[in-house]
Amino acid sequence: MNRIKPRWVALLLGAGFFLSACAPIAPWERGNLAKPHMALDPYPLQSAMRAHNYGAREAASGGTGSSGGGCGCY
Amino acid sequence: MGATDRTSGPRVTPEHASPALRALTAAALVLPGLMSPAAHAAEGDEADFQYSRYQEGERHPLSTFLDFNGVPGIRNLPNNNPIEVDSLHGTAKVTLADRVKLVFNYTQDTWSGATPIATAPAAFGMNATGNFTINGPKTTIVTGASPYVQSIGSFGGAAFDARLNPLRLNPDFVSYSQDKRLAHTLSSASPETRKQGDFKLGYEWNEAAVDVGGGISLENDYESRFATLGGRLDFNQKLTTVNLGLSYTNSHTKAVIDHDASPYIDTTAFDHQIGVDDTTGTETLSGNRQDWGANLSLSQVLSKNAVIQTGAGYTRSTGYMENPYKVVEAFFVNPDPNFSGIPGVFLAADGQAHAFLEQRPDVRNQWTWDVRYVQHVPVVDAAVHLGYRYYHDDWGIDAHTFDADWAQPLGRGWTVTPRVRYYSQDAADFYHPFLAVLGDPGTSEERLKKLPGSFSSDHRLSGYGALSGGVTVAKQFAKGVSLEAGFEYYTHEGSLKLGSGGEEDFADFDYWVANAALKVNLSALGGGGAGDHHHHGHHAGHAPAGVMFDHMLSQAGDFMAGYRYMYSRQAGNMLHGESDAGDAAIVAQGCGASACWKAPEEMDMHMHMLDIMYAPTDWLNLMLMPQFMDMHMSLRDLDGATAPAAIPDHGDHPHTTGGVGDTSMYALVKLLDVPGHHSGHHIHAALGVSAPTGDVGIKLRRNHLHDPGFIHYGMQLGSGTWDFKPSLTYTGRLEDWSWGAQLSGTKRLEDSNDVGFAFGDIFQSTAWAGYNPLDWLTFSVRGLYTLQGELKGEFTVPNDRSGPMDFGTSYGGRYWDVGFGVSATVPAGDFQGNRFGVEWLQPVEDDVNGFQLERVGSLSATWSLAF
Repeated sequence: MNRIKPRWVALLLGAGFFLSACAPIAPWERGNLAKPHMALDPYPLQSAMRAHNYGAREAASGGTGSSGGGCGCY
Repeated sequence: MGATDRTSGPRVTPEHASPALRALTAAALVLPGLMSPAAHAAEGDEADFQYSRYQEGERHPLSTFLDFNGVPGIRNLPNNNPIEVDSLHGTAKVTLADRVKLVFNYTQDTWSGATPIATAPAAFGMNATGNFTINGPKTTIVTGASPYVQSIGSFGGAAFDARLNPLRLNPDFVSYSQDKRLAHTLSSASPETRKQGDFKLGYEWNEAAVDVGGGISLENDYESRFATLGGRLDFNQKLTTVNLGLSYTNSHTKAVIDHDASPYIDTTAFDHQIGVDDTTGTETLSGNRQDWGANLSLSQVLSKNAVIQTGAGYTRSTGYMENPYKVVEAFFVNPDPNFSGIPGVFLAADGQAHAFLEQRPDVRNQWTWDVRYVQHVPVVDAAVHLGYRYYHDDWGIDAHTFDADWAQPLGRGWTVTPRVRYYSQDAADFYHPFLAVLGDPGTSEERLKKLPGSFSSDHRLSGYGALSGGVTVAKQFAKGVSLEAGFEYYTHEGSLKLGSGGEEDFADFDYWVANAALKVNLSALGGGGAGDHHHHGHHAGHAPAGVMFDHMLSQAGDFMAGYRYMYSRQAGNMLHGESDAGDAAIVAQGCGASACWKAPEEMDMHMHMLDIMYAPTDWLNLMLMPQFMDMHMSLRDLDGATAPAAIPDHGDHPHTTGGVGDTSMYALVKLLDVPGHHSGHHIHAALGVSAPTGDVGIKLRRNHLHDPGFIHYGMQLGSGTWDFKPSLTYTGRLEDWSWGAQLSGTKRLEDSNDVGFAFGDIFQSTAWAGYNPLDWLTFSVRGLYTLQGELKGEFTVPNDRSGPMDFGTSYGGRYWDVGFGVSATVPAGDFQGNRFGVEWLQPVEDDVNGFQLERVGSLSATWSLAF
């Protein structure tokens, strides 16, 4: 646990610096960002289904902060 | 319910901002009352349905065999029973009041097939079924139907070299050579169904939101309850968004240890968690686990063409995290080089394998870090999504996931999105395909002490890589409806692991998943009561929910999307004709020439149907109705009957089946339409065919060393035959009253299906009357008569015919029902035009063919929206 934490702190700090450099974007410049296929997850239904399949087949499903999904005992 | 947080990006515009909320049982959606007419379909309100099918490739574990000349060898076994899963998902997102949003999800999976339960050196012949004198290259060996976890089918016993590498006996029957190849032992399962319902209730401010959620997932052997808490904060003119999610899950395992394998499985370590049924001797393993999770993410708009999101998560899991069906094979090897009499060869001291229930640590701490980047490509208006996820836990597993997709709009509402994903994980510290330790086995307690504290041979904990790729095709229709279809192929291989050290190829497998989704955007459809809204069916009163094809779309170009849920139940007395049947009569007459020993005790059926209707002209409507169903049946012993000696009594396990049912397609033709302001008459005919998309070859798993064969006809998911389905419908109305009548039929177009039978033809007639106390509300009463013929033919491969439900003569009959219904059409507001209905059908009289279980009744619930 201890060997992981500093790495994260550094990453988050780095992300903070990175983001603070962003120039403001006026609402009328956000047309592309508003397109459905530019969403972080354009297909949430399918993503949830795939995540469930991966979760039943891979060890690294934890840590997502989401819940449910059943046993997957197959 | 994975990855919910990803959906909530920066709050760029309302259209873009789909919040981290989703859910609602589609069934709950159709209850009238749930949404008051005052509710407004706000931005983001939608109803979604998705079906998916997961199909694993065949696995061919190695086994020993003797050829014609008596020479031992190793070869791959046939296995024709890979895992398959059918899933149905429904979501409703609705705005309950200004700023208050509810999301409800319902998910249902039915799975069956063979899965690995243990691993051992292939040379030890663990997969040889009982004996190993299988001759000839074309001899089919059936395996995997029932697990053999102890018997060693090799010819030289379990032999190792000095470094505990497994050895294989050479064809000279004297010498050994090293053979490290491993083999899974597979065990198959009868179909099982999982159902999950969950919700999120959220409140939104202009630049923040909070939500609480919860849900439950139910399976025969696993129950999970969970609660979530989430928050979102926008700042920097909504260019930056922070999401926080917390979750708690409490899961309970209650697993029956395989009856055929339990005598050979060492359960000592879990004895305090195992309960034994006094009468049947069934052993049930119970365990509880808890998961606490936290996830923090930050989304940032980088430019007018790029967004990034990064997040970190932590989950702490405690309690019983084992898979109760997995065992680990252990060999206790005699360290005396003279024991075998062959130099360099060390044999298992007692000549056998010991199978232990797997043991995992009781605590698991898991950390993740992920980043996701979206870039717009202006020249082709595409979006590129790139993702990376790092995972680490204190079981020794580090994992990396990379994924990328290219979302390409093609115009006219089409979008094609190819996708690729790569995943790699290390093995858990305690992963061992099998265990070999020096020393005598001794007592159970002594054996456990010689083993590591934790061990598992579950290949999900091995080191491997997985590569998958697929494509999603989406079509957005003008009226707020979109269709999505996706396909993905996934391959898991030890050799794909990043770096070296992946598991050998015995653990490799692959699968594909296909899915199709229908999404209805309620806010785009409602149109705020715009003048062009169509009053489909133009009748003030609506037919009861249980009546299909009660109306037509009246304008060319109209669409209707609907969802129909039906539940029916049988329980109570067994009937013969119109009267109750005693057990003695069932035993004597229910099973043809032989004697029955079982009868159904209760049967439940749930059916989910989608109605998709389109009017190419005003006199012709086309309709497509896919179905998804699940059924549950339990049996009881008949008094005074005994099961044939050859067929073991497997303790009345309830049986479940589920998956895609038959798919119907109809053409509705308008024959008479007399519209009027106060009164009207309408007649139309429907001509339909039902395609046999439902599985009719479902079998029960091998149990007690016996294969029961096909499950009862009535538990199969479809008819298996192409069916012709005509109907004729009349509806009329006067002032606040409405009425109607319908004749309908089902004619099987084939004498028998692929497995040898055909259900009887059906004829139904029904008539109803409705009254509207309010413009938007209808109460209805109706009568229904159903006539169905006997089932013809029988399974081509004989099954256990334990009771009347396994004989065609006990299918069909004459049935009378009375229905009571209420339906409502949202009269105004943004949900205008949404129609809900429920109807209860109460059986009045049954006159059954043969011997059948009494009907309790059936419930229909519908939602539909024309646009």
